[in-house]
Amino acid sequence: MKLDVNGKPVEVNVPADTPLLWVLREEVGLTGTKFGCGKALCGACTVHVDGKPKRSCVTAVGDCTAQPIITIEGLATDKELHPVQQAWLEENVPQCGYCQAGQIMTAVILLRTKPSPTDAEIDDAMSANLCRCGTYPRIRKAVHRAAALLQGAK
Amino acid sequence: MIDRRGFLSGVLAGAGVLTLAACGGGGKAMRISHADQTGELLANTLISVLATGRIALIVNKAEIGQGVSTGYATLAAEEIGVPVDHVDVHLAGSMNELRQSGNMQITGGSTSTTEGFKFVRHAAAAAREMLVGAAAAQWGVPVRDCTVSDGHVVHGTRRAAFGDLTKLAARRDVPEHPTLKAAKDFTLIGKTNKRVDGRAKIDGSAVFGIDHTVPNMVHAFMIHGPVYGSRATRVDVGNAKSRPGVIDVLTVPSGVAIVADKYWQARAAAAELKITWDQGTVAGLDTTQMATAMRTYTKAGASVVDKGNPGKAIKSAEAKVAAVYEAPYLSHAPLEPQNAIASVTGSRCEIWAPTQSPTITQAFVSEAIGIDFDDVKVHVLTAGGGFGRRAIADVCAEAAVISKRVKRPVKVIWTRESDMTQAYYRPVFAVHATGGVTQGKIAGAQIHCISQSIPLSSGTLFAAALSGLPGPIRGRVIDAALAIFSTNSFGDIFATEGLGNTPYDFRAYEVAASPVQNKLPVAFWRAVGNSVTGFAMESFVDELCVAAKQDPFAFRRAMLPEKSRQRRVLDALEKLSTWSTPPAKGIGRGLARHFAFETEVGEVAEVEMIDGRIRVKRVYCVVDCGLAVNPDIIRAQMEGGIIFGLSAALDQEITLVDGVVQQTNYDTFPSLRMHEAPEVIVEILPSDEPPTGVGEPGLPPIAAAVANAIHTLTGVRLRRMPLQRAWNERGAA
Repeated sequence: MKLDVNGKPVEVNVPADTPLLWVLREEVGLTGTKFGCGKALCGACTVHVDGKPKRSCVTAVGDCTAQPIITIEGLATDKELHPVQQAWLEENVPQCGYCQAGQIMTAVILLRTKPSPTDAEIDDAMSANLCRCGTYPRIRKAVHRAAALLQGAK
Repeated sequence: MIDRRGFLSGVLAGAGVLTLAACGGGGKAMRISHADQTGELLANTLISVLATGRIALIVNKAEIGQGVSTGYATLAAEEIGVPVDHVDVHLAGSMNELRQSGNMQITGGSTSTTEGFKFVRHAAAAAREMLVGAAAAQWGVPVRDCTVSDGHVVHGTRRAAFGDLTKLAARRDVPEHPTLKAAKDFTLIGKTNKRVDGRAKIDGSAVFGIDHTVPNMVHAFMIHGPVYGSRATRVDVGNAKSRPGVIDVLTVPSGVAIVADKYWQARAAAAELKITWDQGTVAGLDTTQMATAMRTYTKAGASVVDKGNPGKAIKSAEAKVAAVYEAPYLSHAPLEPQNAIASVTGSRCEIWAPTQSPTITQAFVSEAIGIDFDDVKVHVLTAGGGFGRRAIADVCAEAAVISKRVKRPVKVIWTRESDMTQAYYRPVFAVHATGGVTQGKIAGAQIHCISQSIPLSSGTLFAAALSGLPGPIRGRVIDAALAIFSTNSFGDIFATEGLGNTPYDFRAYEVAASPVQNKLPVAFWRAVGNSVTGFAMESFVDELCVAAKQDPFAFRRAMLPEKSRQRRVLDALEKLSTWSTPPAKGIGRGLARHFAFETEVGEVAEVEMIDGRIRVKRVYCVVDCGLAVNPDIIRAQMEGGIIFGLSAALDQEITLVDGVVQQTNYDTFPSLRMHEAPEVIVEILPSDEPPTGVGEPGLPPIAAAVANAIHTLTGVRLRRMPLQRAWNERGAA
């Protein structure tokens, strides 16, 4: 089975119903995408498939062939962080950090569709991602900051 | 790139070099030979200066998100004289020389910064004096004329980089009493906010326990029974063993393990199995029945505090309050499920796990596979949340049992469902309180705390876990455990913490405690007993305040000593929350404060009811935690403690029906999400006192602050957590 992960072709030999999460973690060796609940309840496993946020713990790898897959490891370009990652650092968002890959992947898509999101739009987009450490107030600030960074970069 | 190979192979791979290099311990020959071979100065157990001038710091704590690696790096950098980003943090594994917290290696009780403020600075200052001594001797100048700056020793216009001084410094004795910097000279403490682990946690490169691998490792997928403690009595493996990658299917004490090359291969094979289970150790347990029994319990408890004659004072008081405050079992539900790697070879075992306690891990593993305590070597990995659950090492013991059977390193990753149903919950509580007020002032109070005891639960468990050990070691560990876990008549400091040691002067005051006993293990959960006693005490005080017809700030102040941390925090909080200005229509405000882990926190919650849903809009928080080492991390811990506590206060409970846990994942055990997270406004009071706890103290006041706000808004007093359920069922029989 051929996959396109972070812009690179990858060949894996797994049953088509294997969740994308475990293919990324065990076959491709990208462990930045996290297992939290296994039932699309927490969002820790969020990746981009064909430009859309997907819960990789319930997404069969067979449904992802021939589509670009982007994980947290594929966000930064060369030596530069993605503006969303940069904003996360500047707002000191992470505590344990375990949910943050999923949070960041969700926020990147939000800002692609809504470059200047309101608080209500941030609530809508981000409330599917759980954080047990309680970093939500900082995530909100970081999304606003990332919006400003992205617009400044234009 | 930084070459740490010498350091990593010499120090982190085993305790040998580290033992020899330990503070003033006759390890000079070893220190010199190591420095000559590698250019590294092993100054003491915690600090090494690398040839590059970077500092390798052993952090004898778990990084569970609380920021201890940044905190300790700040303390070390301040004393040795380098920027914080010149410090590389390494989490310490099990090592008897590093038993610093009640003779254990454990991360809990919000003690890390308090402890590290002494020993991390001491270790770094010792290393600094060796470097300065080396430079001064080389230059033939007095030590007192030399200073350190940015990783260099400086004398006039001469500068020597730390990395160039390591071989000379290794030849000097380790100072036993190094001089610490005076607080007025701090340039990093109080000013450092950037987390040392921040970058790795936003680019996917941080290696958590679940991400770690060791050579030749296989995976085991665990199936646990329907009731805690169930054992598999019959296993029909079906075609599981012929599935791709599957190596074996094993029945172990805690359940059934499917072992395979990959995690998902093992997980996918689980559907093949048909398992018959026995009834488990908590068959029949019903939390509704337990709660009723605890609510209506009338027998006297063991006395914890007995001051004056509150019974008489309450009887003759003008107005009386009698109430029962209740709290359920809670799961910690850290986002990273419990996991561990174990490798058993002969009579030895290595563990790699995101654990909060190498010592407790050694105890669990040595008991599970019958080897000596000191033959369990624990490597501590970054944890995706802990909240107390990772101070219990059941998953490590399970991995060790499986590794011993398959004779290979084994990684076990629990499902969310196992993480949530395999016990070690925050204990249930019913706090019975009666009190009286006369002429607007407190007359007396009596509290009877009924709770399942962590010492009785874990004490039994600890004794069992240690029973396989040789006498001297067992005695040593049991002594250490008991020193932490037991101090009063029924051996429980946790059930009554926050009640027995309240700073309130109730004039006449009694606290008693009674243990609830069953076989469902309970354990530490963020803020431990304070997570409930803060709710009970501050709800009770609020009810007394209403009965006394007083302002919540004024009523509390009258019971607290002048010039106390409590009064300072209340004064600041009254201003911060603009308490004197009435809230907008539809908003209720509630005040609560609590002293825990030597830190005082006061909170005002602003609450509204939207279609029957309790919504906390904003929380004002004032904290006095002594000297603030990393102010923004303290703010983050207050925000996090409040939001973690709010999830529990509003919605979370673990219930059992006929021994079966009813909550299995984040849908039935909900946590607060972005759209319901309040704005949190934190003020840290300036202080020159030594630092005190911050990881837990933000949590205890929040539930009462919300319940008190609901009362001012609606007139309804909610005395049972979770509050949303209590609201929904208010008035019901």
